[in-house]
Amino acid sequence: MFFHNFKYTFKVLFKNKMLIFWTFAFPIILGTFFNMAFSDIENSEKLDIIPIAIVSNESFESNPFLKETFRYLSDEDSETQLFSTKYTNEEEAKSLLEEGDISGYLLVEDTSKVVVSTNGINETIFKSVVDEVNQNSQLIGAIAKENIEKELKNNPSINPEAIYKNAIELVQKEKANIKNISSSNLSYTMIEFYTLIAMACLYGGILGTVAINQSLANMSSTGKRVSVSPTKKRNIIFSSVLAGYLTQLIGLVLLFLYTIFVLKVDYGTHFPEIVVLSLLGSLAGLSLGIVVACLIKSNEDLKVGIMISVTMLGCFLSGMMGITMKYIVDKNIPIVNKINPVNMITDGFYSLYYYDTFDRFYGNIIGLFLFSTLCISISIWSIRRQKYDSI
Amino acid sequence: MIVFKTFLKVVNKCKIPIILYTVILVFFSGFNTVTNDNSTSFVATKPDILIINQDEEEGITKNLIGYIEKNSNIKTIENEKEKIEDALFYRDVNYIIYIPKNFRKDYLEFKNPTIEIKSTGDYQASLAELLLERYLKVANSYHTIIEDEDALLEKIDDTLEVETKVEITSKLDTSALDKATMYYNFTNYCILAGSIYVICLVLSTLKEEKIRKRTIVSSMSHKKHNRYLLYSNGLFALVLWLFYVVLSFLVVGDIMFSMHGLFYILNSFLFMVCALTIAFLIGNFLIDKNAINGLVNVIALGSSFLCGAFVPPEYLPDTVLKIAHALPSYWFINTNQTIKEIEVFNVDSIRPIIINFSILLLFSIIFILITNWISYRKRKIG
Amino acid sequence: MKKVIEVKNLTKEYKKLKAVDDLSFDVVGGEILGLLGPNGSGKSTTINCLLSLLNYQSGSIKIFGKEATPDAYDIKRQIGVVFQDVAVFEELTVYDNINYFCGLYIKDKETRKKYIEEAIELVGLEEFKKFYPKELSGGLLRRLNIACGIAHKPKLIFLDEPTVAVDPQSRNNILDGIKKLRDNGATIVYTTHYMEEVEILCDRVIILDAGKVIASGTIDELKSLAKIEEKVSVEVLDLDEEYIEKVRKLKNVELVSYNKPILLVTYKKGKNNLVELMEHLKKEKISYNKIFSERPTLNDVFLELTGKGLRD
Repeated sequence: MFFHNFKYTFKVLFKNKMLIFWTFAFPIILGTFFNMAFSDIENSEKLDIIPIAIVSNESFESNPFLKETFRYLSDEDSETQLFSTKYTNEEEAKSLLEEGDISGYLLVEDTSKVVVSTNGINETIFKSVVDEVNQNSQLIGAIAKENIEKELKNNPSINPEAIYKNAIELVQKEKANIKNISSSNLSYTMIEFYTLIAMACLYGGILGTVAINQSLANMSSTGKRVSVSPTKKRNIIFSSVLAGYLTQLIGLVLLFLYTIFVLKVDYGTHFPEIVVLSLLGSLAGLSLGIVVACLIKSNEDLKVGIMISVTMLGCFLSGMMGITMKYIVDKNIPIVNKINPVNMITDGFYSLYYYDTFDRFYGNIIGLFLFSTLCISISIWSIRRQKYDSI
Repeated sequence: MIVFKTFLKVVNKCKIPIILYTVILVFFSGFNTVTNDNSTSFVATKPDILIINQDEEEGITKNLIGYIEKNSNIKTIENEKEKIEDALFYRDVNYIIYIPKNFRKDYLEFKNPTIEIKSTGDYQASLAELLLERYLKVANSYHTIIEDEDALLEKIDDTLEVETKVEITSKLDTSALDKATMYYNFTNYCILAGSIYVICLVLSTLKEEKIRKRTIVSSMSHKKHNRYLLYSNGLFALVLWLFYVVLSFLVVGDIMFSMHGLFYILNSFLFMVCALTIAFLIGNFLIDKNAINGLVNVIALGSSFLCGAFVPPEYLPDTVLKIAHALPSYWFINTNQTIKEIEVFNVDSIRPIIINFSILLLFSIIFILITNWISYRKRKIG
Repeated sequence: MKKVIEVKNLTKEYKKLKAVDDLSFDVVGGEILGLLGPNGSGKSTTINCLLSLLNYQSGSIKIFGKEATPDAYDIKRQIGVVFQDVAVFEELTVYDNINYFCGLYIKDKETRKKYIEEAIELVGLEEFKKFYPKELSGGLLRRLNIACGIAHKPKLIFLDEPTVAVDPQSRNNILDGIKKLRDNGATIVYTTHYMEEVEILCDRVIILDAGKVIASGTIDELKSLAKIEEKVSVEVLDLDEEYIEKVRKLKNVELVSYNKPILLVTYKKGKNNLVELMEHLKKEKISYNKIFSERPTLNDVFLELTGKGLRD
């Protein structure tokens, strides 16, 4: 009986087009959209080469620091290229700026002046570089002056030019002692794909909803028929749920394969933990589906609608529509995401990807386990009786 | 009139999913424009930096912190490892500077202490790194010749005070325009999803076989019946559109009362018309009521992602944008982006907008023609 | 004869409504028992109580001599149910649907295969084995519904209005099938509000109204409960009051009504009523087009007992 019911529930679930769309196809479609939309976003946030213009008047030509710096930073063959620079007159620079062809232009008169149209990031970097050149020339001057004064005390016959040259060398070879210790796994668009997996886990719960619905006498007519048969209710429910779980896992495996091999999503290196998290995540979705099926006395469409809405809300709170949302919720109302199964799954993947330690991951695993246990207990409590007051 | 009444009855019948849907949409659009402010608004010129100082805040340590503070937004995050790591990952801070214990003492004793940093690696982080490096380089340079801390700090300050004059030519309120653009880009999703969902639901109910047979045999002409349906749907779409326009005044604010605002509204109206024709077309195609939910999500999410309603179009890969040209949403969003850039409204500056408007209208006309052709062919059952 | 079902003082109340009110009846082996009553008279509720699906306030139910409980699997194994709603899976074919439900009773694959074929033959769905429920007409769907309920060859079958909204041809097919089941030795409880079906099919009838038995017995026994014995209708074009008065005075006549052009004469009892009326008409030289006699229907019985018709 157990296997018989398992086999047919499996068959019924697999042939339900709406179910298969939501649990199998929709996450894959959405993942493809994510990939199209986000594949370039992090690269775009790195520095691009900034188009600028420089008014090549006499003052500029006679300022070796500025001239040299911009020549160096505009060198197309160099890896450190920051600008693509046009040397021109003021008139043309103005019109280039108006057309939006350049971010800004440099005009050196008594002092140097940067002209930009807005105050964006490119403009800031442009200004910052000019600042640095000017500061360096001031710095070199100050150091040379200091050294000349020092030398003069000992030796009146000095070579100021040599000292000046030394100062330039000194300033140029100075290095800041900075060590970058950030994790290499900083790609936040991964969160989008983690919410996608979480969404698939929860949508899988719809399979549980449907499987339970058609086994309960007070929920469907097929359930009535099953209830009058000489089969233990326990067996029917358990084998139906197991069929739902298996279907869900097949969908999840497909989604994993698709995201790993086609979309190149990085799930980190902790394979066993990922498997545990996926199994538990699916179980949490399944239990939610079961509890919705058991507690709400209505038709199947409404139950499925509730599952979809609850999942979507959970996805929203855990960052699917903008990862900032997850951070804001985590930071300000952490309890919401502590009980949100979508977030527990997302956060589990996130902690595996980003953190070196497993503390946070175990927290999520325990959370998912408790969530599933709670849902299943409520369900068992509500369907434990075999006779109904009304059907 | 009778067609319209039927329409209202059907809308009334499925009001619970409609309300549910609208609430979720409002929730999304409202929240997203608020929360996304940080991640997509690129006017911020100061990077967000977190300084974790394990040294006492005196002397050169204090001076360094002071310099960073002046040139960036200093974030205060609880000093808990997890919270700090999260802040970096979610770009709440772009750059974390760990000043080691005894930094001041070691520095003054020429021990060249190492400063550890964590960086998101984006342009804001690069800017932050520029600041830190510059300070240290200047300090190092002076330190080779000056040993006294006070004299050293004075010299450092002198050098770092040198600043370039900046002249800004544009007088646009870019941040308000950014917000308005983002809001209207997001309505791409709301308008598409809302209109397709409701209109398909209504049409599929009206087109259920039994009712369809009745309307075909009724004395009302096929064209007239379709036209009435279009009016009813149009009214619904109008209400939906007005709702989002009113909401935009609340969310975006004063900028909506300008020429820019007017063009945003006009653009969204044209898009609403186009969405209406799309909904009508799909409603005519659709047979299975259960498919509506899936279809709405695929179409609305798909064109929103592909055309840059969620992610600003300048961050989309070129190939995706090329594909997007075939979708009306692209032209709607493209117009929003163009409006944002316009400083003075004149014939020249609005020409691209007019072209985009025409393309949207062209889409609408094509959809209407296809719809009429299909429903004409489907008049006979079977 | 052996009692298959014994129901004693069964009472089932919903929040406000008393659906079954102190109901007692027996079902004997090998008979087709009809549960007849208008919509809402408690037929389905009674069946659901018998099947241990519903809680009830008081009373006892014994099936095959044992208390009926949800765990009484040996009893359940011998029961087949055809519900009022079509209870099949949209996603499974005709064959798979029957196989699934039959499989909940019969483990052995070979036996099951044989039983399924027999069930399909019984309801006449041989040509539709591979079809999905969506592709079947209303009548065929009802037949599938029946096949799913009886494929495991139960000894006791409950049929809850299996012919609702079915075309006459399919209905005849279904009724024939039910007779065959009885002939194969099954006991059948059949609920309906179509009295014609009961008259064709049932050995014994229980008439329910508002959760109570208002009459029970064989069809003839029930009909004898009605005061009338025979109804004669005559199509006469023109009649005067005088003649109608004359008819009223004839032997055995209970009621006479003339609703142009039909003259309806109801008799209490007696024989040769039709012949006497015809002779009387001839004697009075009244010409008529048609004349025919009817036995009273169960509807007349129901009308007599409750003062309202069977169908609303």
